[in-house]
Amino acid sequence: MTDGRPTAGTYRTVELPAVPGLGGLYARGAAASGRLAVTRRFGASDDVVGALPEVAYVVRDVRTDAARLTAYQHLLGEAATDALPAGFVHVLAFPVATALMTRSDFPLPLLGMVHLANTVTQHRAIRLGEPLDVRAWAQDLRPHRAGTQVDLVTEVSAADEVVWRGTSTYLAKGTSATGTASTSTDDEREAFVAPVPTGQWRLPADTGRRYAAVSGDRNPIHLSALSAKALGFPRAIAHGMYTASRALADVGAARGEAFVWTADFSKPVLLPSTPNVRIGHDADGFAYTVWRPGAQAPHLTGTVTPA
Amino acid sequence: MAASRSTAKSTETSAATSAIPPTSPRALVLGGNRIPFARAGGKYAHASNQDMLTAALDGLVARYGLQGERIGEVAAGAVLKHSRDFNLTREVVLGSALSPETPAYDLQQACATGLETVVSLSNKIRLGQIESAVAGGVDTTSDAPIAVSEGLRRALLDLSRAKTVGQKLAAAAKIRPKDLAPATPRTSEPRTGLSMGEHQALTTAQWGITREAQDEVAFASHQRLAAAWDAGFFDDLVTPYRGQSVDGNLRADTSLEKLAKLKPTFGLTLDTPPTMTAGNSTPLTDGASTVLLGNDAWADEHGLTPLAVVVDAEAGAVDFVHGVDGLLMAPAFAVPRLLARNGLTLADFDYVEIHEAFAATVLTTLAAWESEEFGKERLGLAGAFGTVDRNRLNVHGSSLAAGHPFAATGGRIVATISKELHARKAAEGRPVRALVSVCAAGGLGLTAILEAA
Amino acid sequence: MGDTYLNLVNSGVTAKIAKQLGLPQPAPLRRYRPGAPLLGGPALVVGTGADADGVAALLSRTWDVEVHRHATPELRYAAVVLVLTQVSHPDELSAPVLAAAGVLRSLSRGGRVVTLSREATADDAPAVAAARQGVDGLLRSLAKELRGGSTGNGIVMAGDVAADAPSVVGALRFFLSTRSAFVDGQLLTVSSGAGTLPETWERPLEGRVAVVTGAARGIGESIADTLARDGATVVAVDMPSAGEQLTRVANRVRGTALQLDVTADDAGTRILEHALARHGRLDIVVHNAGITRDKLLANMSPDKWDSVLAVNIAAQLRINEALLTSGDFTDAPRIVSLASTSGIAGNRGQTNYAASKGGVIGMVRATAPLLEAFGGTANAVAPGFIETEMTARIPAVTRQVARRLNSLQQGGQPVDVAEAVAFLASPAAGGVVGRVLRVCGQNMVGQ
Repeated sequence: MTDGRPTAGTYRTVELPAVPGLGGLYARGAAASGRLAVTRRFGASDDVVGALPEVAYVVRDVRTDAARLTAYQHLLGEAATDALPAGFVHVLAFPVATALMTRSDFPLPLLGMVHLANTVTQHRAIRLGEPLDVRAWAQDLRPHRAGTQVDLVTEVSAADEVVWRGTSTYLAKGTSATGTASTSTDDEREAFVAPVPTGQWRLPADTGRRYAAVSGDRNPIHLSALSAKALGFPRAIAHGMYTASRALADVGAARGEAFVWTADFSKPVLLPSTPNVRIGHDADGFAYTVWRPGAQAPHLTGTVTPA
Repeated sequence: MAASRSTAKSTETSAATSAIPPTSPRALVLGGNRIPFARAGGKYAHASNQDMLTAALDGLVARYGLQGERIGEVAAGAVLKHSRDFNLTREVVLGSALSPETPAYDLQQACATGLETVVSLSNKIRLGQIESAVAGGVDTTSDAPIAVSEGLRRALLDLSRAKTVGQKLAAAAKIRPKDLAPATPRTSEPRTGLSMGEHQALTTAQWGITREAQDEVAFASHQRLAAAWDAGFFDDLVTPYRGQSVDGNLRADTSLEKLAKLKPTFGLTLDTPPTMTAGNSTPLTDGASTVLLGNDAWADEHGLTPLAVVVDAEAGAVDFVHGVDGLLMAPAFAVPRLLARNGLTLADFDYVEIHEAFAATVLTTLAAWESEEFGKERLGLAGAFGTVDRNRLNVHGSSLAAGHPFAATGGRIVATISKELHARKAAEGRPVRALVSVCAAGGLGLTAILEAA
Repeated sequence: MGDTYLNLVNSGVTAKIAKQLGLPQPAPLRRYRPGAPLLGGPALVVGTGADADGVAALLSRTWDVEVHRHATPELRYAAVVLVLTQVSHPDELSAPVLAAAGVLRSLSRGGRVVTLSREATADDAPAVAAARQGVDGLLRSLAKELRGGSTGNGIVMAGDVAADAPSVVGALRFFLSTRSAFVDGQLLTVSSGAGTLPETWERPLEGRVAVVTGAARGIGESIADTLARDGATVVAVDMPSAGEQLTRVANRVRGTALQLDVTADDAGTRILEHALARHGRLDIVVHNAGITRDKLLANMSPDKWDSVLAVNIAAQLRINEALLTSGDFTDAPRIVSLASTSGIAGNRGQTNYAASKGGVIGMVRATAPLLEAFGGTANAVAPGFIETEMTARIPAVTRQVARRLNSLQQGGQPVDVAEAVAFLASPAAGGVVGRVLRVCGQNMVGQ
């Protein structure tokens, strides 16, 4: 990705001793979010967001174990091989990016941030036991019609070669970014026409809890109706990356070992749910759509195409 | 070889035996037996797969006088199996009137299980590995295995592996009340989460198959099966069991009007009007079937009249997971390959047996074969593959009327059509052929050619 | 089917009470077991002349029985054979009959009395005919006097049939053996010297192929078992709806099951085709399939009348015709049909059934001559009260009375009928043609 914006190359590198635990990060994030709210309330430019920290976090020699991998693979419907599913690499590496978002100088509140989109490029299969280096940073703070969005980039390298790169786009609602054009970058959405389904997912109420158990992502909006209500959702919602990873698993072995996997999260999946799914040869490689029958917009769409 | 023979004669004889490869034996259908199929929860509600398959096998043994006979091999299977049935077919043989020295194995290819046992045993006969065989299949949805929930299963496994009291307590503590609810087997496709009916509903809509056309297929199935029962056609194909003496699902008195009144059950969430009802879909059924196979020599030794030759078979599969083709459309691809290999066209068949998983399955298969576009783009042909004369299709009814105990359906079809082939050839004195097509879960299909012996 | 009364009067306290009250004292009957000796004790052969000598020699030399020509007082005899073939005047009955009388008191339980005599005809001198016919009355009365499960039966030789004719020998062995446990007071006529003695009396039907209709249960099931025990390969036939039971029978007897409605037009052809294809031949057909639809004639519906006649007699006629015209039923074939004492003596409420069973008797009489050229026979067996599922449905009191209305004071077992069928189906019975053999314990009604 070369878009002329500051990248990891120009950022200061901070090496963390280990991948931070997400639980602690959410606690810190909650505190930081509170602090941000306080700052904004008393600040001169209410709702105006500051710049991104020009810092890249690095964790070296990240490893995982077979038990955790297998639990993930079984839950998502991946074959229990020693190749790490691209979604699992995300689970492994993303806490490093999350840690960035809990920095006191990170301009957006972690809690309540909405995962808008995700793109993963996997260059080759990553094997269980390979020592991995994870590098994460934030970039592209920009306005969204509903607030401010930012990309969290995570790169995973093996033997100094980038083998996996993920970009997660988040939206902080109700804030506006500084230093960027104020015109909306959002395109007009095309009216959604439901395709012919190829399948159906039965997502029980505990879907979020089960994914939290294998991913470590215990964001309260996914865990229970009660905790989700506290954050403004009528019921618990499925992790976006869970749904995207299931779609990736549904594509199956046909995706190959090097691919680009995208996801656009339009509407959250309120649990429990039985959405329709289409996984088809509709793009260069595969395209997928997940929607509730009769809905005006899909839950998510995405592609899995050769890298 | 006799030493006194002249040199010339000996040479001639040995030349004859070594130069010409021995012709491989024919695999013959010699007969069959099944128990009447019963609706789930009906007369076989408390019969296990082993009970039903034993009844079907014992009936076969009785019909053909095979008591104490060491059959080359018995192969059968069930789609829904208890873990205790890990060696189902062998256990059935041991409990039957056959010789306990008869080997057996289990086989499973979803709804194609029954036909695949016929195909693979026929291949063994043709290779000369065995001279006789019994193919079969059984399924019960009434006595289906119920598994413990995934949570309880894992906890119990952990518990059994735990060595210390502490480990055992920890494992036991993981069991939650909701884990105690049993997990019943689902008939939905593991990779898509859709039931077979929902999958077929998609295909049905894609091919624009009407409700009326489906009901007509169902009506014909009941009419023809009822006629066959009335004519005593099944007298030497079926042995009653547990007070069930005809197929329990058969509705001889059904009508197009009655079928038209049924509410749709599949495809309710699609944009197109739903067309698939309980009347034009197969019901959950319990039953078992067997087919007796052998080569000419074995048939002759046992005074058995060969009914049909198992000529060839072709399996197929489709990528339904990515929506390329409908779940049950594999036979639409397998049959053209099978016929091409044998230099035959649809017009060469006097009988076409297409398993009626749903009336729409038959109709979408026929529609695909009649489609120019499908023929050109999907089959790589110059045009449409061909048309099946409806008078040759499922002449004695099929699964819509008889019911469909998954693994037992193949045996039902093979035995029925083999008898019909033999009778037709006896009447007309010309070669008579049948095409058999069975679709199966997982996007599978198995097709075979039978010829009157 | 159990006979509680029979069990009660034969055990402990209840037996004593029954005796004091003078109630009928039926004795448990001994039935045939392969391997058991023909008789459980010595036999007394009464009579003089070549026939008596021949019988004595047969018993002692061939059948390994201890034979006495003169009664030893107080000795317990297992059998008495009265050879009366040479009597030419009723006066001549006195000596042999009274000689036999002396040992009757000490006849062992389940003992046998068998008379051998010649048929009385109109061509005989009156005194000869009187003597010969006198044997009939003698035997029938004697049978009624015997107790303890003992039976009396007679063999009547027609024309110039020799005493060593296969059927005379076969019938003698049948009557002496436990195979005839429930046959009592019967006179069986041997018409000719046809028939062949078996290589072994244990398996007289070895190599023969037999079809039994109605073989799924009851008497038919027992016939299948018995024919198979005697060496026959059995084709078990019954209605398709009885297939499950039929399978059990066919697999037990190691035969084949043929699900078939005997009233079907092509039943005979299908039976023959099955037997020829599977077993290479057909030698014996046992027409056992039968139904009852009891109703007083005044209340009889067409359906009840017609269905009974269709199954019980019309089907047999049609099947026989198919067999007889096929050219494949020609190696000393045997047809054995099930008649009934109802068809002989009549039974209230069974006009349809009795008509069909009387019809059977007429049918075998007229069918037998058609088979004689091939050494074949057609005969009927007429069961009396037999303990079956069918008779178990008779109301209790009626059933108890029906059971006692015979000399053995009990109902017979299906196997008793089956034994008689097996005898008539055997090669030795070739001289018994167009006859009816009753298996009724000498029922009081009828002949």
